[in-house]
Amino acid sequence: MTTAIEFQHVQKDFNGQTVIPDLNLTIDQGELFVLVGTSGSGKTTSLKMINCLEPLTAGKILVNGTDTTTIPVRSLRWQMGYVLQQIALFPTMTVAQNIAVIPEMKGTAKKEINQTIDELLAEVGLDPKEYRDRMPSELSGGEQQRIGILRAIAAQPDIVLMDEPFSALDPISRQQLQDLVLRLHARYHNTIVFVTHDMNEALKLGDRIGVMQHGQLIQVDTPAALAQHPVNDFVRNFFGASRAKNVYDVYVGRVGLIQGYLTEKPSVASGRIQSLDVQATLRTAFTALTDHDYVAVTEENRVVGYLDSQRIVAYLSQHEEVS
Amino acid sequence: MQTLIQTFIDRRGDLLTALWQHLGISLASLVIAMVIAIPLAIWVVRRPRWAEGLLQLTSVLQTIPSLALLGLLIPLVGIGTVPAVIALVIYALLPIFQNTYLGISEIDASIEEAADAFGMSRMRKLFKVELPIALPQIIAGIRTALVLIIGTATLAALIGAGGLGTFIMLGIDRNDTSLLLIGAISSALLAILLSALVRWFQTAKPRHALIVFVGILALLGGGGAYSVYANRVETITIAGKLGSEPEILINMYKQLIEAEDEHVHVTLKPNFGKTTFLFSALKNNQVDIYPEFTGSVLETLGKGNNPAGQTANQTYQLAKQRLAKQEQMTYLKPMQYNNTYALAVTKKFQQEHHLKTISDLTQVESILKPGMTLEFIDRNDGLEGIKKTYGLDVTAKSMEPALRYEAISKGKINLVDAYATDSELRQYHLALLKDNKHFFPTYQGAPLMKTSFANKHPKVVKALNKLAGKISETDMQEMNYEVNVKKQSASTVAHRYLVKHGLLKEGR
Repeated sequence: MTTAIEFQHVQKDFNGQTVIPDLNLTIDQGELFVLVGTSGSGKTTSLKMINCLEPLTAGKILVNGTDTTTIPVRSLRWQMGYVLQQIALFPTMTVAQNIAVIPEMKGTAKKEINQTIDELLAEVGLDPKEYRDRMPSELSGGEQQRIGILRAIAAQPDIVLMDEPFSALDPISRQQLQDLVLRLHARYHNTIVFVTHDMNEALKLGDRIGVMQHGQLIQVDTPAALAQHPVNDFVRNFFGASRAKNVYDVYVGRVGLIQGYLTEKPSVASGRIQSLDVQATLRTAFTALTDHDYVAVTEENRVVGYLDSQRIVAYLSQHEEVS
Repeated sequence: MQTLIQTFIDRRGDLLTALWQHLGISLASLVIAMVIAIPLAIWVVRRPRWAEGLLQLTSVLQTIPSLALLGLLIPLVGIGTVPAVIALVIYALLPIFQNTYLGISEIDASIEEAADAFGMSRMRKLFKVELPIALPQIIAGIRTALVLIIGTATLAALIGAGGLGTFIMLGIDRNDTSLLLIGAISSALLAILLSALVRWFQTAKPRHALIVFVGILALLGGGGAYSVYANRVETITIAGKLGSEPEILINMYKQLIEAEDEHVHVTLKPNFGKTTFLFSALKNNQVDIYPEFTGSVLETLGKGNNPAGQTANQTYQLAKQRLAKQEQMTYLKPMQYNNTYALAVTKKFQQEHHLKTISDLTQVESILKPGMTLEFIDRNDGLEGIKKTYGLDVTAKSMEPALRYEAISKGKINLVDAYATDSELRQYHLALLKDNKHFFPTYQGAPLMKTSFANKHPKVVKALNKLAGKISETDMQEMNYEVNVKKQSASTVAHRYLVKHGLLKEGR
């Protein structure tokens, strides 16, 4: 696998104070990499150094093998999409004009841009006829951020940077947009660097997750590895802090992730197995297990694995304080 | 209301000219202010220290009273359109600069970040993102500036730039409410109309806005080009001070000169302001000729001691010598009438207290309520001198010339300064008090021009000399009355006099 982005001994000072002492990280091409951490951990700063919104104090960042400081900053940015927490659509431009911002600068033909806009709008479930000429102020927050994402990917960049893009949205929009990111990623195979402070979001989205604290990368691992083998208490607690307030609201996917799934299909009549989505809660699972023996956990209608009541109880006893 | 409509109909030609001048001055000032303030504001958006300084500077500029500003500009750039436009630009800077600056600097930081993150160039970001977002605020600033400019531009008339202010000034000077109202209402309507137009620019399709904008520019430019074209023949500019008498005189000058020399076209600038304005206009070649009083030359313009008790001829000779020596100017022979200062009371007041001379005033000193022009109060040969010479102890209220007649006829004051030829003496039944100690100097009117001009234009000199020794005080009072009260045009009145006295042939 080739490397998309590489941090080499990156240091960042603000007003003489070192906030990131020595950051080393390699992100592969086509990877959806999530940087997670509390506020002030340096995750957003790390992200902004990739497209030179923040200059480096020392070290270097390679994008597709080239030192970013040797590339003209505008052409560097043209190959990177960027999605902001504040969404920041240009308020005087229509939806279509917002999406067309980067392709227009790159000199793409108008006809081609218009076609792309229609395709993209349809892709995210917004009727092009109805939405093309709307102004951002006429859209809901969730709709706005969909356009924000489309604006970032309209020129088909290799790399998309997302800075806590969903933290200002309501829970339902957030989930829909998380699903959208996964779908777009599966379709375009671009490299996504996604910053969040929400461990649940990180677990759901990340191929790999980097946990940051005080400007340092504490652990970089797959969600399962991170869940099962946290390197220290900070990671374990951070992970724990992401649990639901109420035990019954824990996702079945989380139990599978931490406790491990039965990978083999249990040899019982299929009537004894209840299918549940990864985001179904334990409440649903308990109801299902009253008249079924197993739960088949599915994601996008594909079975991820199987859980039985023992595994769920084991998870509860080990990881959750039942109050 | 009837008189208002009548005045409007009589004056519609003048009004159109004034509107046009007003519009020209205002729009030129606005465009210049925009060209200065908007780029400057854009430039300082990323330089907060400069921004602070410039905001304060523009605020300070705006606090300078407009009259004072115009006065300050006269020694630097003379009079006419240029100082008016400069003053108006200075006033318009603050609202445009401030709104542009705030409009851009208050744009959400995240939007700026987005524009940067998408690799927009500085210029693209400015034109595609920042200016469109700040536009409503910038337009609001431009509208504020516009309304301010149109209002202040009425003062341009004071320094000879014309415009609707001419109507207002004339209205005050002639005590003619209709004229005043026409000037004020037109100026207000113009402000409302243009403000609406600017608002329309904000919402209009760019193409339409551009067409209209270019149209307006072409119209104004065409007007300017036309006036240049029209001026290509030898043009002599004659100006006169504020009031009917100078206007009648300069109309006589025009008719006499044009009758004498057919290749000369005379442009008149009536109601051009006060003595020093006109004098500096003459010095700066903005005006070729204007009628000046012998007494004013000695008192205000020339340097030197003024011996008291001079005869009319001595006064003229002294003025002529001084102007020739100190300013290289030629002062032609004066007319007959002596428009000197005088003190006047109502006929009723005169009879009640048996007043004949200024000396008699000392007996009624305690009940005197004088209302006088600021110029008279301030001059050595005015109130101050009267008080010394006649041992009179009074304090005068300063009033605009036309207003004091209104005030005395209503009994709010009972003593005014006047000119011997004022038509109001007749209109308001006022009596002049005799200057028994010969305090007031002689004020005879005569054409004043640069000597270089006089040498180059012998025909003009010849034409103007025809008026020497003509026009008595009663003639002048009568003519003033015809213009001020009977509302006849100065040109008609002048023409009638010239024909009647055989100075001009009938039919011209």
